[in-house]
Amino acid sequence: MTDKEKQKKPEKKKKQSIDPNAPFLRIEKLNKYYGDLHVLKNISLSVKRGEVVVIIGASGSGKSTLLRCVNFLEKARDGKIYIEGKRIRNHENQLNKVRQELGMVFQHFNLFPHMTVIQNVMEGMVQVKGMAKDVARERALELLEQVGLSDKADVYPSMLSGGQKQRVAIARALAMDPKIMLFDEPTSALDPELVGEVLTVMTDLAKQGMTMLVVTHEMWFAKEVADRVVFMDEGIILEEASPEKMFSAPEHERTLEFLKQILPPQDDA
Amino acid sequence: MNIIPWDLGAIPSRFFLFSEAAWYTVQITGLGVLLGLVIGLVVALGRLSSVKPVAAVSRAYIFLIRGTPLLVQLFIMYYGLTSIVTIAPIPSAVIALGVHNGAYIAEIFRGSIQSIHYGQMEAARSLGMPKGKAMRRIILPQAFKRAVPSLGNQLIIALKDSSLASTIAVPELMLRGRQMGSSTFMYMEMFIIVGIWYLLMTSVLSFVIHRIETRLKVSDRD
Repeated sequence: MTDKEKQKKPEKKKKQSIDPNAPFLRIEKLNKYYGDLHVLKNISLSVKRGEVVVIIGASGSGKSTLLRCVNFLEKARDGKIYIEGKRIRNHENQLNKVRQELGMVFQHFNLFPHMTVIQNVMEGMVQVKGMAKDVARERALELLEQVGLSDKADVYPSMLSGGQKQRVAIARALAMDPKIMLFDEPTSALDPELVGEVLTVMTDLAKQGMTMLVVTHEMWFAKEVADRVVFMDEGIILEEASPEKMFSAPEHERTLEFLKQILPPQDDA
Repeated sequence: MNIIPWDLGAIPSRFFLFSEAAWYTVQITGLGVLLGLVIGLVVALGRLSSVKPVAAVSRAYIFLIRGTPLLVQLFIMYYGLTSIVTIAPIPSAVIALGVHNGAYIAEIFRGSIQSIHYGQMEAARSLGMPKGKAMRRIILPQAFKRAVPSLGNQLIIALKDSSLASTIAVPELMLRGRQMGSSTFMYMEMFIIVGIWYLLMTSVLSFVIHRIETRLKVSDRD
């Protein structure tokens, strides 16, 4: 599927001027259809280095699809995606490189069940980056320490709670040294009492300056950690604002409605 | 005076005259299934390929082989091909069994590969793993594990089907039974011996397969 595009144009020598102020990730006029259903309508969005952007919106609004289009797990019909000013195209080789820079965390963890926790974390380092096993193991242990699971290194994922699984999944993504982390509803499949431990790990990451694009229903996280909140509705970005503004004085009626539904009645600010 | 018209004492006394034949049965079945596993894996991956001609060829293979009897395939291999090439009985049997079981094993593999949640492939790809490697490192190990019960079943079927090789002069159990029967006129006794041999071998297989299944369960529960 990628070969056709490859032949379209002979590669031009592109000048690669990287503007330090340019957004780290830029999505430009992205359109995505499922059959006749237009799920992403001309979406444009930028994320600066070190920025935490949270995407909120009702289910079916396209927010997960948008995230999945960024690392080409879903292929958009048209539109452009730039990382550090460089256009990402749907070419296998380029994608395999780019995806290493985009850490992805899934709603359902997707840990490899036939591997132990530490093997899960090492897999990308050894098989994709070609690191030596002992070096990878050391780094994996550091990362497990960081997510508070060094004591679980040698168990299989089936022995972990959902929260622990998700923290391993975060460590696995971090093992590739990504430049940005994409979180696709990372706490939606968790029992309520396990949500906190995952959000804590994510908050720590944000504090360390990780660039993050997060799809979530956890408004607490959006309020406290996000630099910018994006509200998506029916395939468009209806509103983009600082969390303060988004949660106190949204511009659109739709946004207000959504926030009312999702937020518990406030007693005090 | 015997109440039954057969000399059942001949069963234990002649039992081990079939050992060599049983060994042939084990060999053609083992080699045939081994070949079948290789063919099965290739054809399964072919069927799942996004390259249309490859998928079409794989589908045609399964259609043709699964839709015709093993006996026909054996005869084509042994008698039919003689105008081009002469293949000895044992290789003919191994190839026919391999080709035949390959079609079934392909479907077993395809089913088990497709039963692995797509999130596994996505997780592997999101680490930057190329498709082939993700298949090899992440999907296939899980799929093999799920295929084990069906593969065991297929192995037992193959063992019994190998008796058809007696028709192309492979000196395996069934042929031995026919020869012993006609030379002693103790057909019932001899075919009971043959039956016991098959039962012994399938019992061992069932036991081994069960052991493998139990051992593979270690990391499961997900």
